[in-house]
Amino acid sequence: MTLFHFFNCAILTFGPHAVYYSATPLSEYDTLGTSVKAAVVYLATALVKLVCLATFLQVSETEVFDPYQEALKAMIGFIDVAGLYFALAQLTHRNISQNHKFQAVGLGWAFADSVLHRLAPLWVGARGLEFTWDYVLQGLEANANLVFTISLAALGSLMWLRKNKPKTLIPIIYTCAVIIATMPSITSYLRRVMGWHFPKVVGFELMTSLVMAFISCQLFILCQRPSL
Amino acid sequence: MAEEKNSKQRHHRSMLLDSMYPVVALMLVLVACVELCDAATVVDVYRLIQYDISGAPFGSRFSSLNHHAASLSFQHGADLSRSVLILPLRELDIAFVQDYISQKQSLGGLLILLPQTFRPGYIGGGETQDGLRVLLAQLEKLLLHSNIPFPVYFAFENEETDAMLADVKKNDALGQQATATTGGYKLVISVSEPRKIASPTITNIQGWLPGSRADGDSNQLPTIAVVASYDTFGAAPALSVGSDSNGSGVVALLEVARLFSTLYSNPKTRGRYNLLFALTSGGPYNYEGTQKWLKSLDQRMRESIDYAICLNSVGSWDNELLVHVSKPPENAYIKQIFEGFSNVAEDLGFQVSLKHKKINISNSRVAWEHEQFSRLRVTAATVSELLTPPELLESAGSLSDTRQHVNEDSIIKGVKLVAESLARHIYGHQGKDIQIFADNSSLAVNRFYVKSWLDSLSQTPRVAPFLSKNEPLIMALKKELEDYTAEVSIQQESLDGIFTFYDSTKASLNIYQVASVTFDLLLLLVLGSYLIMLFSFLVITTRGLDDLISIFRRPPSRKMKIA
Repeated sequence: MTLFHFFNCAILTFGPHAVYYSATPLSEYDTLGTSVKAAVVYLATALVKLVCLATFLQVSETEVFDPYQEALKAMIGFIDVAGLYFALAQLTHRNISQNHKFQAVGLGWAFADSVLHRLAPLWVGARGLEFTWDYVLQGLEANANLVFTISLAALGSLMWLRKNKPKTLIPIIYTCAVIIATMPSITSYLRRVMGWHFPKVVGFELMTSLVMAFISCQLFILCQRPSL
Repeated sequence: MAEEKNSKQRHHRSMLLDSMYPVVALMLVLVACVELCDAATVVDVYRLIQYDISGAPFGSRFSSLNHHAASLSFQHGADLSRSVLILPLRELDIAFVQDYISQKQSLGGLLILLPQTFRPGYIGGGETQDGLRVLLAQLEKLLLHSNIPFPVYFAFENEETDAMLADVKKNDALGQQATATTGGYKLVISVSEPRKIASPTITNIQGWLPGSRADGDSNQLPTIAVVASYDTFGAAPALSVGSDSNGSGVVALLEVARLFSTLYSNPKTRGRYNLLFALTSGGPYNYEGTQKWLKSLDQRMRESIDYAICLNSVGSWDNELLVHVSKPPENAYIKQIFEGFSNVAEDLGFQVSLKHKKINISNSRVAWEHEQFSRLRVTAATVSELLTPPELLESAGSLSDTRQHVNEDSIIKGVKLVAESLARHIYGHQGKDIQIFADNSSLAVNRFYVKSWLDSLSQTPRVAPFLSKNEPLIMALKKELEDYTAEVSIQQESLDGIFTFYDSTKASLNIYQVASVTFDLLLLLVLGSYLIMLFSFLVITTRGLDDLISIFRRPPSRKMKIA
């Protein structure tokens, strides 16, 4: 499909990140540094996850859903959460509001994720003559991932950075965070056990991401209510 | 001062750029190495032969291909000059192809799909209908004798090509040709342009089995020659396996050599005749190899040849085998040979007939192999199942000449005929009712030997110009004759004069499913509008959200910058 298709898929995969950055007040407050730091933390997290996966996981030849392996993968997935915690809480950022910090961190995180996981297949595959819908679906998945990451960052910032939260909301916050963090396991479960094809899985991801974003947005607003 | 600073800056910049060059070069190399070869389907295809006779071009003159696929259901008047027409053999209309070629209409390329049963080495049921074989023979004849200005390839049907063809047909019927998102197929064969084969060689292999001389007899022993030509010629040189023409002849010769080598290994049963076995090349080209081989023989050796038996296509006959001669049937030698044959045939339960065809000296066409012997005054006959002599470049290993249509029993009967009659002549038992090579004896014809050589030859394409000097086939035949005869020699000559051949006989076809440019543009439009919508949504919500939050909070601690 040559370079035209590659260009299309690239703007679908990476465009929303740039749009998000420029559309929201993030660009006004010049939070690029935060995003870059979050991207670097993501790189480090990815490395640690790789090492853990290589050490503890057995590679099975067939695409069989092994609950034990999946549970292990989910636990390693929590390293992601730890990395996000580090990026949100431990790194020193310039004096930007809570609101913008989680967005910048989420954006940087999602961008690094897209680049690492999707750029190479896109470069190698989308330039060929053969046309498949795979790369367009991959771009949509990147979009869903962006929304997920920002929601997770929002919930993370609620969990770790906000000291006084209404007691009733805390369990909801934690359950939502757990759901988002285990999204990869859920999708692989759907793909292998239920036999869903890629388009269906991507559709499911998009819908869930919107739902999660809405919920976390509401939670965020609710937690803003008690005055600081 | 400023100037100095400027120049220093420029110097630094140029140094930086210089150091970047190797990095950039490396990136470019890396990028280029990631080649776009990820086709959904790759199929082996075999090109139509390209050759010249005295400078007149024949066959397909091009080899590389990069066009969209089209099928026979295309709309009338559609321009096919940038399409490859895919023709399955089952739906072939010879008149259509003939029209296309004779009217010199431009076509991007032609891909002919053959059923799997024509594949060399195909094991499995399914008799091919005779209709298909006849059609294929007609098609080959047409293609071989035309000058075709576009690439023509043969391929075997498989699931992927079937699926692709069905898709292409569906879209052609709807009038869309590669404009819809998943309707277009692009066929790409990327090979270099075909080049002339510089000096094609023909290789003759001869094996000499000496007879036993009586004590005190110093005269030269007479010789009997058994000859078969082993090379083929067909529309697709990579598929020219020629099971019957002349794989059957080669197998029969090898079996006769084996039987006589067993007889001659024991000095008590060694006959008073020398035996000369020759596997000649250059058969389809007026038996040029045979001529060169005969001329290279020592004059005395040639004069000592009593007679020669040439074997040509003995693999698919039932009741009648023909003996073709060029000397008149009244000739004493011919009579003797033929009587020998008919006696044996009677005993074995089939019939032989004599056919006489005069040689026309002025005509350079050599119809049978024995004519080359006759031109040098050596008595010879050809044993064949064919009634009429084949035309130039025909019946020499066409696509329809596959293993399935060759019968081992026919070859075995032929071997028995030749071996018995030779043996009766050598040992002086003409007319007697003896079976030297009887079944279930130690000299019986070995069915497994015949079958295994026939199977192996039916998977080896043997077009002479494409065989290298040390081709495994030639080495194998040489080794086989070495096992059975005392002296083996190889003669290599170059194929003369009027024939020129071009290489590139086999290639890989990549089939890509492509989407059109309009699809790309459409996608770009959709994505552009999506991004714009996203942008406006985010602006509305976040600026709005900020406002919303500030309502629930005390007056904000910092002033919002106004965009």
